[in-house]
Amino acid sequence: MTAKQFRDGYFRILRWRGSFRNYFATGGFDGVFLALLMIILISGLIMMFSASYVYSWYERGDPYYLFKKQLIYTAVSLVAMFIISHIRYDVFEDSAVLALIAAAVLLVIVLAHPKVIPGKEEFRRWLEVPVFGTFQPSEFAKIAIIMYCAWAMDKRRREVETRLWVTIPHLAVIAVIAGLVYKENHLSGTILILAIGIIMVFLGGSKMQIFAIGFAGIVVLGIYAFASGYIKDYMGERIEVWQKLLQNQELTAAEAQGEGWQILQSLYAIGSGGLLGMGFGNSNQKHLYLPEPQNDFIYAIVCEELGYIRAIIIMLLFLLLVFRGIYIALRCKNRFATLLTLGISFQIGLEAGLNMAVVTGTVPNTGISLPFFSYGGSAMLMLLAEMGMILSVSRTVEKKPAKEKSANEQA
Amino acid sequence: MAKRTTSQRLHARVMLVAAAMVLAFCVVAVNLARIMLVNGEEYKNKAEQNQLQDKELKPTRGVIYDKNGTVLAQSASAWKIYVNASSIPDNEKVRDFIADKLSSVLEDVDYETVREKTDESKSSYVVIKNRVEYDEKEAVVSVLDDKVTYTAVKKDDEGNTVSTSDKTFKLRLAVGIDDDVIRYYPYGSLASCVIGFTGSDGEGKGGIEAFYDDVLKGKPGRLITAKNGRSETMSNEYETVYAAENGAGLVLTIDTTIQRYLEEALEEVYVSSQGAGAYGIVMDVNTGAILGMANVPSYDLNNPYALTEDQKKEVELLEDENEQNEAKRGFYYKNWRNFLVSDTYEPGSVFKIVTTSAALESGTLDESYSYSCYGSIAVADQVIKCHNHSGHGYQQLREGLMNSCNPFFITVGQRLGQETFFKYFEAFGFTEKTGIDLPGEATPVAGSTYHPLDDMSIVDLSSSAFGQSFQLSAIQITTAISAIANGGYLLTPYVVEKTVDSNGNVLTEKQPVIKRQVISKETSQTVTSMMEDVVTKGTGKNAYVAGYHLAGKTGTSEKLSLGKGHYVASFGCFAPAYDPKIAVLIIVDEPVGYINGGQICTPIAAKVVENSLTYMNVEPQYTPEERAELDTPMQNYAGTDLRSAVADLEESGYTVETVGNGDRVTSQMPPYGVIIPKNGYVVLYTETDAEKITTEVPDFSGYSVYDVQAVARSVGLNATVSYNSSTNKNELVSYSQSIAAGTQVSKGTAVKVYFKTNSGVADFG
Repeated sequence: MTAKQFRDGYFRILRWRGSFRNYFATGGFDGVFLALLMIILISGLIMMFSASYVYSWYERGDPYYLFKKQLIYTAVSLVAMFIISHIRYDVFEDSAVLALIAAAVLLVIVLAHPKVIPGKEEFRRWLEVPVFGTFQPSEFAKIAIIMYCAWAMDKRRREVETRLWVTIPHLAVIAVIAGLVYKENHLSGTILILAIGIIMVFLGGSKMQIFAIGFAGIVVLGIYAFASGYIKDYMGERIEVWQKLLQNQELTAAEAQGEGWQILQSLYAIGSGGLLGMGFGNSNQKHLYLPEPQNDFIYAIVCEELGYIRAIIIMLLFLLLVFRGIYIALRCKNRFATLLTLGISFQIGLEAGLNMAVVTGTVPNTGISLPFFSYGGSAMLMLLAEMGMILSVSRTVEKKPAKEKSANEQA
Repeated sequence: MAKRTTSQRLHARVMLVAAAMVLAFCVVAVNLARIMLVNGEEYKNKAEQNQLQDKELKPTRGVIYDKNGTVLAQSASAWKIYVNASSIPDNEKVRDFIADKLSSVLEDVDYETVREKTDESKSSYVVIKNRVEYDEKEAVVSVLDDKVTYTAVKKDDEGNTVSTSDKTFKLRLAVGIDDDVIRYYPYGSLASCVIGFTGSDGEGKGGIEAFYDDVLKGKPGRLITAKNGRSETMSNEYETVYAAENGAGLVLTIDTTIQRYLEEALEEVYVSSQGAGAYGIVMDVNTGAILGMANVPSYDLNNPYALTEDQKKEVELLEDENEQNEAKRGFYYKNWRNFLVSDTYEPGSVFKIVTTSAALESGTLDESYSYSCYGSIAVADQVIKCHNHSGHGYQQLREGLMNSCNPFFITVGQRLGQETFFKYFEAFGFTEKTGIDLPGEATPVAGSTYHPLDDMSIVDLSSSAFGQSFQLSAIQITTAISAIANGGYLLTPYVVEKTVDSNGNVLTEKQPVIKRQVISKETSQTVTSMMEDVVTKGTGKNAYVAGYHLAGKTGTSEKLSLGKGHYVASFGCFAPAYDPKIAVLIIVDEPVGYINGGQICTPIAAKVVENSLTYMNVEPQYTPEERAELDTPMQNYAGTDLRSAVADLEESGYTVETVGNGDRVTSQMPPYGVIIPKNGYVVLYTETDAEKITTEVPDFSGYSVYDVQAVARSVGLNATVSYNSSTNKNELVSYSQSIAAGTQVSKGTAVKVYFKTNSGVADFG
């Protein structure tokens, strides 16, 4: 393989294609998708403010401190979304491998030089970025995995569908990235990257046997983890707390003050909401009971203030966004674009679902944020960049993407 | 499967993943419903237990007023200083710092006390001092930010030092200030036996503070505030207040003025008699309202745990600390005890008015009943002596009472018989509590404090008839005296007239309670006239007050349980006899020297009656003999011609001294209206700016009526005398005066001198 073939096979982005017009996506984007997104985004911002102002006041002396930062992040991210929505998705396709490598490099760097946040010394998730502040490479790793998988599943679609072994290197790539994230002490990120990767491989058409084998492997691994005492040692208490709360049992004082504190306070918050909620801004649990209510447990404050009906409506909004993404994906004629859009959509659905499951104690506690709601700059930037990608894809839905593709190949 | 196109396969797999996701969302939604809808209330309650703090709002304790609205007891805000012992670091330097700072700003709190209280404790609320007033609290506030640096040592389980670090400790971290209430008694010991005081928790101890505790204390309210996760109280928009219901105020029947007359009089007799105690009650005979009630010695309500000097010495003699505490406790209860309500004593001859009433009312005998006393009488196998060993001779009922003749009343009792005697004993309320609204009233016990009907021997009956061999409480006797005075109605005595809210609105008003009519109006009047004779001519003559017609009976009993030489002297009376207003009972416990009620209690009762009735604006009604001896008010000579004024005065019998060279009188001493003897001493000034000439008040005690006035004139004073006009003046000896000897006063000043007699007033011996 010549260098040019290598470049065109894996790093096509490095080849300049002449006019900017060749990179510029035209056509109308999907209005429904954007509308849903904006509803969720604005709801998220408002609730982020409500959940954060007590914490901001006590920690920073300014109730708007976190809200203002989040507003700036969101504004910057919306600009990024706008720009990305005007980039033709083949740019994403061409840069998929580069993105994966960049993600891997960043993950290595963060392991070597993490920014240590006081009180969270055991986590190595954040990189110090000038101007921007902190950045979580694992956030970028998610989109990189989606891009890479979509690229890979598109490029070798026939082999993937017929030969078992073709999938294995891709799974290995996913495993490596997931492993790096795991090394950051980022369990939820690991789970998400694994889940997204597996869904991408699944949607890519891999043979079912590989999943049967994988499922068997997971079961074996699970049994091993349980038998070797790993789960008991590292997650035993967490799981015990989860089981007790799910069965309405009282926690011991040590549990209630320790491992169970956050989830217990979350349940107090959610339970206080009832059918109609305490009213916007009226959460009691955000008054320093629920630790960092603006982050992973923001949905508890949503439930407390807005009540069951509105909490379910927010849940439905996420589902609708996901389904609108699926709708766009399935109407798209380009396989990469389809897989990319599906991956992003399912990522949103996965994160939202997992977050709500954690907050409600449906699954054991693992730190995972709620898209568009939780406070955090890198997550917001990545999410809206992804939304930009979907919007970019949506511009091509009504046209003939195949034709354009052939035009590119001619150039 | 193999036939499927890529697109179909994709669709199928997308739908599979989407379905799985929807299913997962549904599971979360169901769980959410479980938390929010099924268990919502439970979680909400638990959250509120965390979020809310419930603080008790203390109600303000009701004010206690006297009859006229004078404040006798009132609560004010104060503070308590506490230490959160659990938050003191385990470091000697810090402990030393805390104890040092607190002992330096708090009065009566020393270093050791603080250390003792906090060293071993792990409590988060160790009270260092209660009832701290504003200035002292501010002193504590001013040192709260003082800090000390110390070296914190971290040790592992085996006690090895792991690390050391320098830390700063602020006093504020362990010392807190909480609300408290302090109860002020503006008059200190005044009416202490009635009012009582409050303990450290604010609950009433003794007196009406205890008896009406439920009324006074009010109902606590609640302040529910929200706190945040750091237990800091949040702003008041999260507050719910259930206001405290303040305690009701009490208006007493006690009149501060009468109470003070009573206490001053008792104080005087307590000193002069060298007794163990002097006690007195002033009761409104028509309602049962207590106008005054006093125990001397008393105690300071603001400092109820103070011991007298003698008591302190006695405690110090004890070596063992437990014994000392025991002794202190004993003294506290002794000081706080209300003798008049809680204790009983043998009433002695005062009781003869009851025997007389019973005899007349039952018709057993009439006023003409006679008996000749030869100094003793045989009852069963005993001989009971009369206090007059040579005997009173022939006496009718009236003389028997006036002489307080024991053999006479033994015969009266025996005429009555056990049944009738006991009927009236019971009717006068001596077998039951009076029901006064004060705590700890003595309960009469058959066979112990009195002889029950089915176990009353002839000896019991005979001795009971003259007031020995059984015990009554002072309040019972006063109630009985009132019944005789008011036409026979036995009343329930009371000290609280009204309850009022904090704005002074009357909530409840006490209505006098008549238990029953014990004797008829006629009997009442007969006994009253006999009692008046006791005062005018009998053993009670030292109680005579011109114009106020006292009716009374003396009593002296021996405390047989304590062996020989322990007496209780008493005098019960009411006045005016023609329209009784007040009953007064004066008791002196274990007097030394003069031991008879007629000797020591009567003049005291007279003072109390005279002062009280004058204060109550009861017009005196003088007999013609009294009127003849009355002193007269000074006329006005200012502005008149000097020569005619002198002539006028000298003609009337006054001694006149003139000061100055003027022709006209500019001022006079005594001034216009002052009452002085008809042969008094008058100074006339003829120059406007002339200085008053003065003289020293001599000691008037020990003189006869004539001598006193002569002595007074000789130094240029006017002695107004107070004595029983029907008494032989030669018997009277002055014993007290209104202005202390040695005082410099203007010439012409009127000094009141009191007389009494020691002959013919004994009813014991």
